[in-house]
Amino acid sequence: MKKFVLPILLMSILPAIFALGGVRHFTFLYEANTSSRGSLELENWVTWQRTTGPGRFDRVDFRHELEYGVTDKFQASIYVADWFYENDREHSGFAYSDTAIELIYNLTNPVVDPVGLSIYGELRTGDRLLELESKLIAQKNFGPLILAYNATLESVWEGNHLAERQGEFSQALGASYEISPRISVGLELLHEFVLPEWHDEEKIRNLFVGPNVSYRRGNWFVTITALAQATDTEGEPDFQLRTIFGIGL
Amino acid sequence: MGLICLVAFNSCGTTSVVPPVTRELAQKSATGPTRVDLATLREGRTVFVSRCIECHTLPAVSSHSAQEWPRLIDEMAGRANLKPAEREAVLAYILAVHAQ
Repeated sequence: MKKFVLPILLMSILPAIFALGGVRHFTFLYEANTSSRGSLELENWVTWQRTTGPGRFDRVDFRHELEYGVTDKFQASIYVADWFYENDREHSGFAYSDTAIELIYNLTNPVVDPVGLSIYGELRTGDRLLELESKLIAQKNFGPLILAYNATLESVWEGNHLAERQGEFSQALGASYEISPRISVGLELLHEFVLPEWHDEEKIRNLFVGPNVSYRRGNWFVTITALAQATDTEGEPDFQLRTIFGIGL
Repeated sequence: MGLICLVAFNSCGTTSVVPPVTRELAQKSATGPTRVDLATLREGRTVFVSRCIECHTLPAVSSHSAQEWPRLIDEMAGRANLKPAEREAVLAYILAVHAQ
């Protein structure tokens, strides 16, 4: 199985080299501005998570997203396929995860208004999986500095007859500084409140923090974020690395 | 106090990068060699603050010369999916602010 890993990884990354809409300065946060009307963009996401400890495992998630500007303030996206590779002590392999649609509506501008705001909705379906996610996106630009904040509420139903349910509230904070027209560097912070069965008895809190860098040229960009877990939650990744390649079509 | 600082910083930053379109600015443009009206300047500012930030933060208009701006905008107009009229409006706004 391992001999297929590299070709599949390359296949997921190569389309981004050939084929921009909006550049992402963050990978774990969304920005308030939306794609312009009529623009079409392909984004390929790769997220590697490593969990250590007795149940050590690695997981690599892949996403292929098509993003379209319906109007200058409204964009729609399709996650054509979310799939993953998982490797632990007992087994390893690839699996399809889900397909999703995502809608973002921009309310105010992050440059001229006091705060740029957008609202976000996502519906995700897969094998014994249904997920709804809503998000409030806030952003403010101060010259070359971008500050962003996301508040996210997520509901997941999964398993047989979608009987298992889980909720999650998360907030993310990011800063990105443009050091040249092509390069930005910054920080991202992700704070999760996991609610199994929509209860908070277990008080599961995860905090991740780490740097990011974004490079853009022509009609493509690449943004990378490395996050380390600042809490000590068992079963949650100790390290995450996410890369997004985007290209205008 | 923090909020006051943030609002003050915000106002200064926004004003310096993208000054609002005033009647004075429009009058100067209307009597200048390119003769641009108020509506075009407003459209240019709107496009500048919404479309250009899809890829990068906004540079100060004074960071490039009036001769450099047309070439810079031409280079990015395709990427930003600007129509010819939008490209003209952005350039008109930038040159009007630059001439102030």
